[in-house]
Amino acid sequence: MTTIQRIWRLRNRLIRLSGTRCQDCGLVTYPPKAACPKCGSRNLIEIELPREGEVLTYTVLNVPIKGFEQYAPLIIAIIKLGDAKVLAQLTDVKPEEVRVGMKVQATIRRTAPTLDGVVPYVVKFKPIKSSEVSAEGEGIETTVV
Amino acid sequence: MRDVFIVGVGLTEVGKRVDIALRDLAAEAMVKAMEDAGNEKPEAIVVGNMLSSLVEQENLAALIADHAGLRGVSGFKAEGACGSGGAALLAGYSLISSGLFNKVLVVGIEKLHERPTPDTARGLAYAADADYELIYGISFAGLNALVMRYYMNKHGVTREEMAHWAVMMHENAYHNPYAQLRKKITLETVMNSPVIADPVRLFDSCPLSDGAAAIMLVSEKYRKLNDTPVRVAGIGNALDSPDLSSRFELDRFIAAKLSTERALKMANASINDIDVAEIHDAYSIVAAISVEEIGFAARGKAPKLWAEGRFRLGDRPVLNPSGGLKARGHPVGATGVYQVAEVAMQLRGDFPGLKVGGEVGLAQNIGGVGSNVTTIILRR
Repeated sequence: MTTIQRIWRLRNRLIRLSGTRCQDCGLVTYPPKAACPKCGSRNLIEIELPREGEVLTYTVLNVPIKGFEQYAPLIIAIIKLGDAKVLAQLTDVKPEEVRVGMKVQATIRRTAPTLDGVVPYVVKFKPIKSSEVSAEGEGIETTVV
Repeated sequence: MRDVFIVGVGLTEVGKRVDIALRDLAAEAMVKAMEDAGNEKPEAIVVGNMLSSLVEQENLAALIADHAGLRGVSGFKAEGACGSGGAALLAGYSLISSGLFNKVLVVGIEKLHERPTPDTARGLAYAADADYELIYGISFAGLNALVMRYYMNKHGVTREEMAHWAVMMHENAYHNPYAQLRKKITLETVMNSPVIADPVRLFDSCPLSDGAAAIMLVSEKYRKLNDTPVRVAGIGNALDSPDLSSRFELDRFIAAKLSTERALKMANASINDIDVAEIHDAYSIVAAISVEEIGFAARGKAPKLWAEGRFRLGDRPVLNPSGGLKARGHPVGATGVYQVAEVAMQLRGDFPGLKVGGEVGLAQNIGGVGSNVTTIILRR
């Protein structure tokens, strides 16, 4: 189980989707790193990743790890967001509807309670319906911090 | 650097070993290895283990050294998730090649059946990135499933081609008295088994295992402790990100490639020299990528080759005559020690299951989803 201090430390990264961009070789990385995994440079800046992208791969877990049983069947995907990849949960979609290449957008949702009983919020991704305008930043629920 | 030799091996039966305590299981393997090495005692022990905290026991080196009659020796535990056994061997090798010690007993031990399965499954997921992956509730099987779907899509590999691996592993394990799953299965068994993390099915996955294995490593001076010493000709380890998100390519394990290159270079050997190998098939997808990164198959081609009948007894190299993690079992922190002991026994000619023989063998032990990899080359 996670803890309230971990969620507090990660609050910006898990909600704003921060990655790092190497100022020397240009590599964009998520999760953020203290040094570039490609060239080793410590000359990195923190950037916000795009909030729309597409599913590169996914899995459906009938048995998530302990503490996440309420989310079964749990859909986890790796999503291409601009120059980065992000592993996150998919929501508002049935397992049989998920496809590789599906367009998704970030949304802020609850996740499993911490050891201390606090309910944290994290970024999850939901399908972009074809009728929706896919302008960047639109359609994101940002009422909760 | 000084040469390092294997002069003793000790294996215990892998399985659901609720019949025996951690310390007794470890001692059984340690005593066998010492007896195999002319009943010689080591100056130090290194313990490979990932999750003993689940059974509320750390300080493992002290516990098992004392229990096995080695009070007063030097020692510590090495951890690298499912690659802990390989990490312990790397440490043990270094202790001897550096000249600090002449005799080191490397012990791998894991007890996964002491706690309810959900606790153990959560513990295994600690190999992933806790801040950015575990927070979504993904299991270790789930992480491998993400790689498997990506790999199959990219390389046009079929579900059936992947499934042949498990059938081959069960055939091999049938002959191994130490194996957990000694029963032959068919392609239908795999294809019809329950989905645990789509597309990973139950029979793509290794079982939960308890087990212990031990290897006595010595310097040149003590190689005569066994009539057939096996030289550790090369050893290489490499790390990759525990998180999948920042991987350069999702269908590759660069640490497996780097560790293989380092081990082969040290051994002054080429991939074509390998007669027999024990590779890390925690899931059939891990087997595929490991086989490709070592260089036994081109990228995206391993499942096609094993579906065509390659890598079985009579071919070269023979892969996982033990039955591999899939059917010998995967006592996590002990697995790397099992693999190297099994390859050493193949080269010595006394492996009690499928006998391959040969002059040069390879073992590859992988921690996490390809994030902590040790590759070892043995030469008779």
